[in-house]
Amino acid sequence: MSGGAQGSGGGGGHAGWHGGVSRARTIGTVIRVGVRSNFGLAIIKHRLFKEKKDRWLAWLIAVSFLGVVPLLYGVVLTIQNLYDILKPMGQERALLSLGFLAGQFLILMFGIYYVISAFYFSRDLELLIPLPLRPSEVMASKFAIIVINEYLTVAAIVLPVVVTLGVVSKAGVGFWVNAALVYLALPVIPLAIVSIVVVAMMRFVNVSRKKDALILVGSIMLIVLALGVQIVLGKTAGSGGPEASAAAVAKFFTSPDSLLNRLGAFFPPGIWATKAVAGGFTGAGLANLALLWGVSLALAVGMVALAEALFYRGVVGLSETTGKKRRLTRDEMARRVKSGRRAVAAVFGREWKIMNRTPIFLLNGTLVVVLFPAIFVLMATIDTGGGGAGGSGGGGSDPMVLLKAIVSANPLIVILATALFMTICGSINGTASSTFSREGPQFWISRVIPVAPREQAAAKFLHSYLVAALGVVTAGAVAAIFMHVKAAQLAAAAGLALVAGVLLTVVGMAIDLARPLLDWTNPQKAIKQNLNVLLAMLADIGILTIVFFGVKALVKAKLGAGAALAVLFAALAVLSAASYAALLKFADKRYPAIE
Amino acid sequence: MIELAHVSKSYNRGKVKAVDDLTLTVRPGEIFGFLGPNGAGKTTTIKMIVGLLRPDAGTIAVEGHDVGKEPLKAKQVTTYVPDFPAVYERLTGLEYLNFIGDVYGVPKADRLERIQKWLEIFELAAAVTNPIQSYSHGMKQKIVLTAALLPAPRVMVLDEPLVGLDPRAAHQLKEMFREHCDAGKTLFFSTHIMEVAEKLCDRIGIIHRGKLVACGTMAELKAMDRTEGGQSLEEIFLEVTEK
Repeated sequence: MSGGAQGSGGGGGHAGWHGGVSRARTIGTVIRVGVRSNFGLAIIKHRLFKEKKDRWLAWLIAVSFLGVVPLLYGVVLTIQNLYDILKPMGQERALLSLGFLAGQFLILMFGIYYVISAFYFSRDLELLIPLPLRPSEVMASKFAIIVINEYLTVAAIVLPVVVTLGVVSKAGVGFWVNAALVYLALPVIPLAIVSIVVVAMMRFVNVSRKKDALILVGSIMLIVLALGVQIVLGKTAGSGGPEASAAAVAKFFTSPDSLLNRLGAFFPPGIWATKAVAGGFTGAGLANLALLWGVSLALAVGMVALAEALFYRGVVGLSETTGKKRRLTRDEMARRVKSGRRAVAAVFGREWKIMNRTPIFLLNGTLVVVLFPAIFVLMATIDTGGGGAGGSGGGGSDPMVLLKAIVSANPLIVILATALFMTICGSINGTASSTFSREGPQFWISRVIPVAPREQAAAKFLHSYLVAALGVVTAGAVAAIFMHVKAAQLAAAAGLALVAGVLLTVVGMAIDLARPLLDWTNPQKAIKQNLNVLLAMLADIGILTIVFFGVKALVKAKLGAGAALAVLFAALAVLSAASYAALLKFADKRYPAIE
Repeated sequence: MIELAHVSKSYNRGKVKAVDDLTLTVRPGEIFGFLGPNGAGKTTTIKMIVGLLRPDAGTIAVEGHDVGKEPLKAKQVTTYVPDFPAVYERLTGLEYLNFIGDVYGVPKADRLERIQKWLEIFELAAAVTNPIQSYSHGMKQKIVLTAALLPAPRVMVLDEPLVGLDPRAAHQLKEMFREHCDAGKTLFFSTHIMEVAEKLCDRIGIIHRGKLVACGTMAELKAMDRTEGGQSLEEIFLEVTEK
């Protein structure tokens, strides 16, 4: 914009510059509004500072996080130990890679759902599209919101690793500055890849009528893909028999960073991130940082440019879902109009249908309890491609060796360990802790129907408990087939897990009932961004820790295995029955107060 | 019958008074129209009647059942249509109606007859096996109305029920209002459409800033008016809500 631009061209240039500034401002505004609406900042501010409600919640969260300190301490200790083991072999940087890769994989695996629902099925699109905004601006704001969301997810995995390693290795300023910059860039590449695939797919494939199936199949495919890569990597590493394997291991451990390179071969940005952080302000550190940021920005810009051309074509018309219209005959209608079910059965049926027909609910509920034990088995058996489950010779992978060692140990420990595994598999889903939140804006129906809150809570309990029991059964099958736990021990463990499942289900439901998240427009908020799900998990950890110390006390008291199990079962049964009765009472009290 | 006695409700820790000492009786066989400017307290009052909000003071009874003390008995005789039809999007229309039939204990024969009747009237018969997610706003409104009519309740409470309905459905609904009340039942609804209130309602209440500023039949409202006679409901409304 120099001298030559003084005439008419100058005006255009000037306008263009202003246009650029105002467009940047527009994107900034759209992002700001999107973030505020997505995280409900205005509501939180209003409730905390105007209505002065929910202040107790801030304290509860603080106390809950204090409860996680022992767990976090354990994680930090493990990382520190691994560091001490890997350092002499020159492999310590692999820990960083592992952290970064795990975070990025998580985003890649679950990203498809977030991207599809944010880009195509969020209700605010109907407000945004008519505004004088470019498709790329709408897309950029949506993308920014997902990235910000993912910072929270990634933080849980990456921060403990980075902070522990930084402290243990007494890292310099370069490490910390680069770590912060890497953290900011970390979700961008996986999300941009998923976004590009999704935007292209939505443009060229007519999926509007099959969106639920698409989300579900897409998510499962990505999980399977990630597992497949894991299997392939494991097989490659483990092939060639014991001698070859020993030689490979020896070579592997004598060459610095070989572990890092192997991990990173899977997803190069993981290596760049590691080298950037570990290298600090050195040439290699800065070059890798530039590479990571450069590729992130290029992919983000590419994605936004693609959006300009394709985004709206995929969006427009998507909300107009049309069902096949067919009038039922009199007979068909007579068959499909039910004769009266009891209210509890009706509420249970509603819960079941809504849960299983909403992809994000299904993924985080019913499917998790089936997938979690399956993933566990795959991870444990195929890690090094060795013997695996029941495999001969070699003794199988390290986790399997460990598990088999546990299984051949004291029968009491076998039962307790199996029960713990079953309990975790049953309670790791968000079904109970989002049971009221999932009703969302439709909660008014539950409030006006003539069904006592305790009956509604009972139906919801039945549903949540059934999902937990499914997890217990799946975990039981895994324990029987892959860990060779004996039938009698399995039955005892299942008994404990099923009775503990009542308590954990009740606790999850009570947390959600105390503070249901009902003002959502995207079902993802009800389960994925629902603090109650996290609080319930923390509460579960707390309860299981207390049970652990209880068991320790029983063992110290020199009780026999049978007696110790009987005492534990009885204690859990009493607690479960009492908590269930308390939940029903709480429902009667709480329902009318939810406004 | 609906009886409200000295009902008050405020928000924001008492700073915003939504309903202020409201006393009102809606008799059996009566269509009662509830009018008021935006934010006057209409929806708050309606939500208190159906048990969605708890009054800070006063009592509400439906068919003699105290809504606070005997909520299930009150709910058993009441159905409610909200101003925005938020319904279970993942259920089909028929599944939703079956759910409502179950929780209100509607026998199969009655259920079948009423479902068929209202689906025909609202022209929903061809869409009833589709997920509610695929319905337009008006169709969702109609399925909520059908659900509210299914138990043939003694009392119906409706918040802006005509919004979003096409003229044919609106006409049918108004006829249903009359039939419902001719059978000795009670109907309480809020509206912004003065013509409808004027022609349809047996009595009209006007709420302004949480207080009932006028209540009575059209003739009584006209008589209350201090200005020259022959005024329409719209003019009366504008006058009493001016202050």
